[in-house]
Amino acid sequence: MNLVRFLAVNIVGTLLRVLPFPCKTGLVKIGNPDRNSPVLLTCNYHLTVERVKRALRGIDAYLLLANSRGINVWCASAGGLFTDHDVISVLKTSGIEELVDHRDLILPQLAATGVEFKVIGKKTGWKVYWGPVRANDIPAFIKDKLEKTPVMREIGFPLMQRIEMAVAWAFPISVILTLFTIPLWREAVLPLIFLVWALSLLIFVSFPLYSKWLGPEGKRMGFILFDFGRGGFQLILWGVVILALIIYSIAVGDFRWGFILRWGFVTSIIVVLLSIDLMGSTPVYKSGLHEDRLLKIIVDGTKCKGVALCEGVCPRNCYEVDKDRHIATIPGASRCVQCGACIVQCPFDALYFKSPKGGIITPETVRRYKLNLIGRRLVKMGGE
Amino acid sequence: MSTYILMKVLESAPNRYDRGIRILTLGRLDKAYDRLTSHIKKGQRVLDLGCGTGALTLRAAQKGARVKGIDINPQMLDIARKRVAEANLVPSVELCEMGVAELGSEKSESYDAVMAGLCLSELTEDELAYTLREIKRMLKPEGLLLIADEVRPKGISKLILNWLIRVPLVIITYLITQTTTNAVKNLPEKIEEAGFVIDSVMLSKIGNFIELVVSKPQGGVK
Repeated sequence: MNLVRFLAVNIVGTLLRVLPFPCKTGLVKIGNPDRNSPVLLTCNYHLTVERVKRALRGIDAYLLLANSRGINVWCASAGGLFTDHDVISVLKTSGIEELVDHRDLILPQLAATGVEFKVIGKKTGWKVYWGPVRANDIPAFIKDKLEKTPVMREIGFPLMQRIEMAVAWAFPISVILTLFTIPLWREAVLPLIFLVWALSLLIFVSFPLYSKWLGPEGKRMGFILFDFGRGGFQLILWGVVILALIIYSIAVGDFRWGFILRWGFVTSIIVVLLSIDLMGSTPVYKSGLHEDRLLKIIVDGTKCKGVALCEGVCPRNCYEVDKDRHIATIPGASRCVQCGACIVQCPFDALYFKSPKGGIITPETVRRYKLNLIGRRLVKMGGE
Repeated sequence: MSTYILMKVLESAPNRYDRGIRILTLGRLDKAYDRLTSHIKKGQRVLDLGCGTGALTLRAAQKGARVKGIDINPQMLDIARKRVAEANLVPSVELCEMGVAELGSEKSESYDAVMAGLCLSELTEDELAYTLREIKRMLKPEGLLLIADEVRPKGISKLILNWLIRVPLVIITYLITQTTTNAVKNLPEKIEEAGFVIDSVMLSKIGNFIELVVSKPQGGVK
């Protein structure tokens, strides 16, 4: 029964990955927890919840589901939909405080960009421990007395996740295209669906081949449409499809330029649709839409005390703390995705964002103003 | 260019919240708020839960009450602060960024009235139960709880009718403001269960919008 639900939620959740998928918030018991069992907290995105529950099989624990409006931990935290208030609320209203004798709370590390450990401690008395990025690492994390290895801290973009993203884009796009095509050009529906799925899988599965040409620079609008190293890869992909079309039509013995032109045009639209904001569909690059992608993190040496909280929450393992000089360094700065978790958590306000023009975004601003859908902080008030 | 316009629209902006909510509630909200705040008297201490951009807070303060407004959205509070300053009501209004889960820090029996405009529908089930308990604790005996909110209509025909009207509105509003509301189920029943007495109920024709005037019984008797 549990397995059926797990599979159903995974299938629906993957097909409709781009939409929120909320489930009930509150307290869930895993196994037979007692007064000393660990307390974990996550978002109320159904897919995440099912995966965390599955990862925790065989462990006795309490799982708190905070109201992230049905959005996954990282997106909700960065977008201001999974905040201190949501964590405080589930701690106070779920009844967990009457069920356990300790006040240790394991939060997902990716929530560190939206939830501040200091505020939770001050307002509720609960001590926050940042858990691993992936649910599957939770049992090892608990067994090792809440110690994380660098691997547990880092996000990647492995094959399974890339296929998930390919499906997440292919499904809604093929549905929309089908709705448009049925009244206009009925015989094209099946080939269209095939093209969308094939191209989507091709783009995401082959990601490691071209990812080294991706970078945060580039012009705003052009950049959104031409994420593949300013259009180069898209053109190559498009060329490959045209070539395949020519070979196919010669092979079936019915070569016509009209056929090639028509499908060549359709293909180019599909490629552009699929690759709009390609970088934003990966966890290892900032979205091309987000102005934040050009920001650099600066360590204020006079404030940094080298306590390494930044190192513990950085999902790209950018930090290294110099234990002798008690100061954080950022040797992996080029990997930074500007999530801001380190800035939010630094207890000494020693980190801040610097824009290419030299402007400074203070820790106060990063904590208070989260990103909207197109990645802009709503600092300005009033006029639009 | 069209992408750019779409993105501008998708840019969530708290200063468009009021407009969005007006679309969603078909302009019903302003009148409901006026009716609710007609119960507020000069010199009373009033708490506004989920004050947002300050619609209820301002109305109550204009009637001479001392109002504390709480909300979890700092951008909304910024707008509320600006509006309070423009109305010269700064001395009688206090605005705090806090959620209902932090109401435990408020003194017992310290408020004459608690207002909740489109707030209870934002809460999870646990939060709603907790909030009703806390409101009862904070209200003076015979103190008022004033509610305007969206509720789930009863009966299949009304449910379907509501759904047909709501879906397009929800889509338009979401595109403009990224806001939406979730209707509460069985709100009057939940309020009575929490030990309040319902003084008056006003339900919209389709049964999807409710105005409630509720009081805390003297001596806390059910």
